[in-house]
Amino acid sequence: MRLTNQEAFEKYASEAHERWTSKFGGDRWVINVGISECSKAKGALDTWSNLQLHLDNSGLDYELHQVGCAGWCFAEPFIEVIAPDSPGIVFQNVVTDLVPELVQAFKSGDFPVEHAMGVRGDESFKGIAPLNEHPFLKGQHRLLFKRAGEIDPDSIEEYIANGGYAGFVKALLEMTPEEIVHEVKESNVRGRGGAGFPAGIKWESGRRTQAWPKYVVANSHEGEPNVFKDRRLIESDPHLVLEGLMIACVALETPHGYNYIGGEHVLALARFQHAVDQAYELGLLGDNVLGTGKSFHMRVRSGGGAYICGEGSALMYAIMGERGQPRTKPPRSVEEGVWRRPTVLNNTETYAAVPSIITNGGSWYASIGTEQSKGTKLVTIQGPVARIGVAEVDMGYSLRSLIEDIYGGAKEGYTLKGIQMGGVSAGPLRMDQLDVGIDFESLEEVGAMLGSGGFVAFDESICAVDFARYLTQFNRYESCAKCTPCRLGNKALLEIVDKVRNGQSPNDVAALIEATSENIIDLSLCGLGQVAPMPLLGMMKAFPDEFEAHFRDGTCPQGQCPVSQPRLRLEPVAAD
Amino acid sequence: MAHGAPASEIDLQPLRTILEDRYNPENYQDSLELIVQACQEAQHLYGYVPKAATEAIAEHLGVSTNRIFGLLTFYADFLTDEPGEHTMLLCHGTACYVGGSQKLVDHLDLRYDVTSGKTTRDGTLTVQIVNGCLGVCDLAPVAQLDHHDYCGHLTVESFEGLMETLRSESKAATGEDSDETD
Repeated sequence: MRLTNQEAFEKYASEAHERWTSKFGGDRWVINVGISECSKAKGALDTWSNLQLHLDNSGLDYELHQVGCAGWCFAEPFIEVIAPDSPGIVFQNVVTDLVPELVQAFKSGDFPVEHAMGVRGDESFKGIAPLNEHPFLKGQHRLLFKRAGEIDPDSIEEYIANGGYAGFVKALLEMTPEEIVHEVKESNVRGRGGAGFPAGIKWESGRRTQAWPKYVVANSHEGEPNVFKDRRLIESDPHLVLEGLMIACVALETPHGYNYIGGEHVLALARFQHAVDQAYELGLLGDNVLGTGKSFHMRVRSGGGAYICGEGSALMYAIMGERGQPRTKPPRSVEEGVWRRPTVLNNTETYAAVPSIITNGGSWYASIGTEQSKGTKLVTIQGPVARIGVAEVDMGYSLRSLIEDIYGGAKEGYTLKGIQMGGVSAGPLRMDQLDVGIDFESLEEVGAMLGSGGFVAFDESICAVDFARYLTQFNRYESCAKCTPCRLGNKALLEIVDKVRNGQSPNDVAALIEATSENIIDLSLCGLGQVAPMPLLGMMKAFPDEFEAHFRDGTCPQGQCPVSQPRLRLEPVAAD
Repeated sequence: MAHGAPASEIDLQPLRTILEDRYNPENYQDSLELIVQACQEAQHLYGYVPKAATEAIAEHLGVSTNRIFGLLTFYADFLTDEPGEHTMLLCHGTACYVGGSQKLVDHLDLRYDVTSGKTTRDGTLTVQIVNGCLGVCDLAPVAQLDHHDYCGHLTVESFEGLMETLRSESKAATGEDSDETD
C-alpha cells in the first residue's frame, strides 16, 4: 500500500489506531515477548518457542507478539500478558524453564506475584503493584523510550497507531523548513553524542550553506565500550529514529539521508533496514512523498568495528569507503562532509527527540531539563549495580538518585568505589561526589563528563591504577594512528602506567604522566585524541592515595596489579 | 597480508548471487559506499574474507582490491585468515573489565598464546576481542560464541570448561568422520 496524500495518511493512522486498540480487550490472551539483543542473549527465543508450545497445549485462545526491549536488561527475558479484562502484566526473568509453571497458572486465572514486575496503569491488580512504581521506572521520564517494549519494532503500523510519523507529516505539509529549524532551535536540544552542540544551530548553518546535494546523517555507530542506548533504541523503536532523520531531511530540503550503524549491532541494523523498507512501501520514503513532489531517500551504512568512526569526520570517510580517520577542521561538516558536500550529522538520540519536538513544539521540550541542558537523556550504567539497563531521566536528575534508586545501588556483596563517567573520555567520580545533576554543565563543573551517557560503576576490588591502565589501553588500541601525538603519546602513557603497575615507577612519575598527557591533549588532531589521557588524569585526581602507593612504595593496595601477584606461569597447549 | 585457504577451495557462487541481487551501485560513489557491507557479507558466508572473495567484490563493484585490503586491515571486525572451528567474540568493554575480563584476556595470552584475531594452535577457537561492547552488560563478562550463543559471567574456570566442551565436540566429530571412511 502506498499513501499518496495527507488524507490517506490520516485515514491509515486512524485505522491503525483502531486495530491497535481492538488488539486488547477481546476474549483473546495477548502475550508480548521482548526480543532484543540483550534478551536473546538471555534465552528469549527459547522462551518464545516454549511459550508457543505450552499455550498451544493449554487450549487458551492467544496471540503471541514480538516487542522490543524496554530498557530493563536485568529483567530479561520479559513477557507481558494481557488477559481478557485485565491490564497488561509484565513478568520478569521468564526463562524457558519457568514457562510451564506460568502457563499453568494463567490457565487457572492466577498471575504469580513473585515473577511479576508490575502491571500497566496506575492501580494495583491482584496484588501486583503498578509498573510505574517499580523502583527502576519510578524516577524515569520516558519520552524516547515511550513505546519501547510495547510495540513491535518490525511494524510500521503499530508505530503509526501510537502517534508515529505525525511529526514528519506535520513538518512536511504544514511547516516551512525555516519553521522546523526554529522549533528545533527553540527546543535547544543539544547533541547527545557527547559534544552537546545545539542541533538547531547546526541545522541552521546547514541550511545556510550554498552547495548541493546536502546530506543528513545519523551517527549510530556507538563504539564506546559501555554504551548501548542507541542500539536498544533502534532495536525497540527504529521508526522513531527514522522519523527524526526524515524531519531533518525536510528541514534541510534534501532527499539524502544516511544512518551509519556499527557493524556489530546486527539486530539494530536489521530492524532499521526493515523500518526503511516499510517506509518505502508505505510511500513515506521514495519519490513524490504524500503528493508533495518531494523525494526522500534513506541509506543504511555500517562500519566494521573501529571506535574512531564515531568521530564526525571519520564517520563520513567511513561512509565514503575509506579508512575512517578524522581530518583537521575547519571546514566543518556542515560545510564539507559526506562527498565534500554540506552534511548535518547528529547522534541517533538527538534525532529521536525531534519528532516530539515537532508535534509538541520547541517550547514544550525546552520546559524539560535544566536551564542549559534541555530534554531527557538516555543513560546506561553497568558494573556491580543491582539493576542494569537503559534509563531515561530529565536532564539535571541527581546522579546519586540515579545510581541508588533507579539502578538500586551496589549489587549484593559489593561496595561501590566510584563511577567512571563519559565513557573512555573522562575521569571518574568517587561515591562522595555523586550529588550532582546529570547534565552537560553540572558534570563538567566537577571535572566529569556527560558524554553519551554511559557510566560504569566499579567496586572496591578494582585498583584505580589498573582501571586507568585499561582505559588508556583502550584509547591506545583504538587510536586510528593518523596523527603522531595520539599514536605514540598514548603508547608512551601506557608504557609509563605499566611500569607503575610493575612497581618500577620512574622518578617523578606524576609529572611525567602530566607532561605526556598535556602533549597528547594539545597536539592531537581529533576530539578523541584530545581526551584520551583524561581517564588516567581523572583517576589520579580521584584516587591520589592509591596512585601514591604505587608511585612511592611500589605496592598495589588492591592486590590487582602485577607487582603484587606471583608471576603466572602456564604451559602453552602443545600442538596436536 | 596472509590469506588462509587457496582461492580454488572457496565457492564464490553464493557471494556472487548476493552481490548481484543486492549490490548494484548506480555510480562510483555508491560502489565505494558498499565495500564494507559487501565484505561483511563475505565474512558472514565464509567466516572470514578470503582473498578470492575480495577479488570478486572488487570486480563486481569496480573498485581496486588494494582499497578493499586497506579497509579490511583497518576495521577490527574483519578476519583475513581462515578462522578455527569456532569463533568467539570476547567482550572487553568497561563493564566486562570491571567484571574481570582482563583475566580472560591474560589467560588466553598466557595459556593459549592467543591475541585478538588469532586461533588456538589446535584450531578449535578463534578469538576476537571486542573493545567496544556487545551490549549485554547484564551478563558481564560475556562472550558470544559462533555469533549466536552467549556465555555470560565468564571466569577463567568456566572458560576452560567451555574450551573442554569445544575440544571434545570436535574430537567426537572427527572420530565419526573417520568411522564413516573406514
